[in-house]
Amino acid sequence: MRKKPWRQVILDGATYLATLLSVFALGMIFFYVIREGAHLLSFDLLRGDYHARGFVGLVEEETQGSFNLTGQQGENRYLVERLGLVLEQSFDLAGDGVIKVAYIDEASPLRRLTNQDPTSEQSFIGLETGAVLRRVSYVDHPTSLTSRGAASMARDMNDPDRALREVIFSTEGGGIRGSLITTLYLIFITLAIALPFGVLTAIYFNEFAPINRVTKAMRNFIETLTGVPSIIYGLLGITVFVPLTVRLTPAENANLIAGGLTLAVILLPVIIRTTEEALKVVSQDHRFASLALGANKTQTTFKVVLPQALPGILTATFLGIGRVIGESAALIFVLGAAIRDSVRIFEPSTSLAVHIWSMMTDEPANIALSSTIALIILLIVLTLNLAIKTTVWAFDWKGRRS
Amino acid sequence: MMTTVFNIENLNLFYGDFHALKNIDMVIYKNQVTALIGPSGCGKSTFIRCLNRMNDLIPEAKMEGCVRFDGEECQIGGYDVIGLRKRVGMVFQKPNPFPMSIFDNVAFGPRQQGIKQKEVLQGIVEKALKQAALYEEVKDRLTSSALSLSGGQQQRLCIARALALEPEVILMDEPTSALDPLATQRIESLINDLKEDYTIVIVTHSMQQAARISDYTAFFYMGELREIDTTEKIFKAPRLKQTEDYITGRFG
Ligand SMILES: Nc1ncnc2c1ncn2[C@@H]1O[C@H](COP(=O)(O)OP(=O)(O)OP(=O)(O)O)[C@@H](O)[C@H]1O
Ligand SMILES: [Mg+2]
Repeated sequence: MRKKPWRQVILDGATYLATLLSVFALGMIFFYVIREGAHLLSFDLLRGDYHARGFVGLVEEETQGSFNLTGQQGENRYLVERLGLVLEQSFDLAGDGVIKVAYIDEASPLRRLTNQDPTSEQSFIGLETGAVLRRVSYVDHPTSLTSRGAASMARDMNDPDRALREVIFSTEGGGIRGSLITTLYLIFITLAIALPFGVLTAIYFNEFAPINRVTKAMRNFIETLTGVPSIIYGLLGITVFVPLTVRLTPAENANLIAGGLTLAVILLPVIIRTTEEALKVVSQDHRFASLALGANKTQTTFKVVLPQALPGILTATFLGIGRVIGESAALIFVLGAAIRDSVRIFEPSTSLAVHIWSMMTDEPANIALSSTIALIILLIVLTLNLAIKTTVWAFDWKGRRS
Repeated sequence: MMTTVFNIENLNLFYGDFHALKNIDMVIYKNQVTALIGPSGCGKSTFIRCLNRMNDLIPEAKMEGCVRFDGEECQIGGYDVIGLRKRVGMVFQKPNPFPMSIFDNVAFGPRQQGIKQKEVLQGIVEKALKQAALYEEVKDRLTSSALSLSGGQQQRLCIARALALEPEVILMDEPTSALDPLATQRIESLINDLKEDYTIVIVTHSMQQAARISDYTAFFYMGELREIDTTEKIFKAPRLKQTEDYITGRFG
């Protein structure tokens, strides 16, 4: 075998090296989000409220006694025999350190507290397993705080000299349900608008439009728009779509419809371009065959050409969904940055990407939860990718074999 | 006296500045097979596309003169080309079935005419496939993809697809050039059967094929119709030396 010239060896080497580095860099993303965020991934996170609901309960009568808590010991668990309570040093859904109620006896006095919230109809509230203890105050004694840890709080509460006065607790917060639902809504609204418009526009340009300077200019213009940063579309959203929706719908400010409209405009160039590419590769022979069979242009386009472009349109859909899930900058304007637990289409909320932004602008930044959300986003994108690949494959298979 | 289907008078066609068909006068007889022969680039395909107005789809093509179908008036613009194409079917050089089932391919034309009833469509499809001598081979797998058929079967499917509209004329532009000899033979015998009921115009590069299947042969050269006569005459005693040279393979 002849020796390769050194130039070629260098080129070969550069090819391998570049590939290796690219794959490594891309793999890093997965590695990073999994390492940082995998431990927070749970169904409770997906289902949970973001905002913890706080309660303030007054301890009216305190039965002095002792509860038998044998069998409740464990790592990071602290028993409060006096009140029939087990505290646990734990983390909430967002990974912040909290003190949770790991167990509470049926007869515990803390099951029945006077509700201090004047706006509430409920006159009594009670601690439940899973509740997060925020603060416990006593008559004539300093308050127990979360920051001092569960051990210290349990010790204070168990002290027979300290008469309990007030217990401040909350539900566990940090869940991302609201942002998840918002994201799903956004995908739906955006595609419902962008797909029909984009596909029909692509059909016009590829099948019907005369080839002249005007249509060429329009196509170039659309092509240019695929590269425009989304924040600019966000400006369009806040100056056009938000006022428009405020005027036409019950919305009062930023809202999901405006968000969907803005994203739809962001997607339009992508969908038009991808669909056009898909239409272009449909064999001209099929168009002629259809027309020669006495079908008119519309029939040919929608019965022969469009079905063959479906895999391409599905790809466009997938790219679109990817953009919707990943978009944050434009949405902060038109959909808001305040995380909501109950999502309404005429109200502001946040998508998962904006949720990440919000977590990262917190003080201190919650990198773990951000990574978890990133992981969720990656999983959604991956699932969608597979789903679409399968569908395209099924289409192909049906066309070729079935 | 035979009935004519097409009367072509002073037909000219331009692709931009290029004069592709020059002053063609010709008649095509009913229930006869007319073969169009001539060297590559002489305008055979262009001519056959004038018969069902497929040239209308080529933006730079401009047609002048008359192609009168079935005794109609001479019309160029504002003509009902869709109606014409239903009556004048076309089979292309490359088999081009749609990526749909065999059934859907054949039912395509009728469906676009608004026929929806399953039984009616089934009847049409069966009849067309039988006419195209394909039925026996595919009757058990009408729902499978047309692309799963062999090239020869695909071409017969395309013929069936055209027949499903019950046209009066079938135009074929080199329908066997992409097929092996056996498949070619099947198509040729099919053409023989079809001429009972249809008028067929076929472009071919095979002199044997023209001799075997056609009743009339037209020789084109450089956009002109040089000679047209019964196939027998053209092959036995052509009027022009050029025709003879072409047929005997001395040029072209
Ligand atoms: N769309 C077109 N635009 C410009 N010129 C064309 C076009 N189609 C065909 N021509 C030209 O017109 C002439 C006739 O073409 P045509 O396809 O009719 O020839 P043909 O006889 O069918 O040839 P072949 O036997 O190779 O199929 C050729 O010179 C060709 O280059
Ligand atoms: Mg040709």
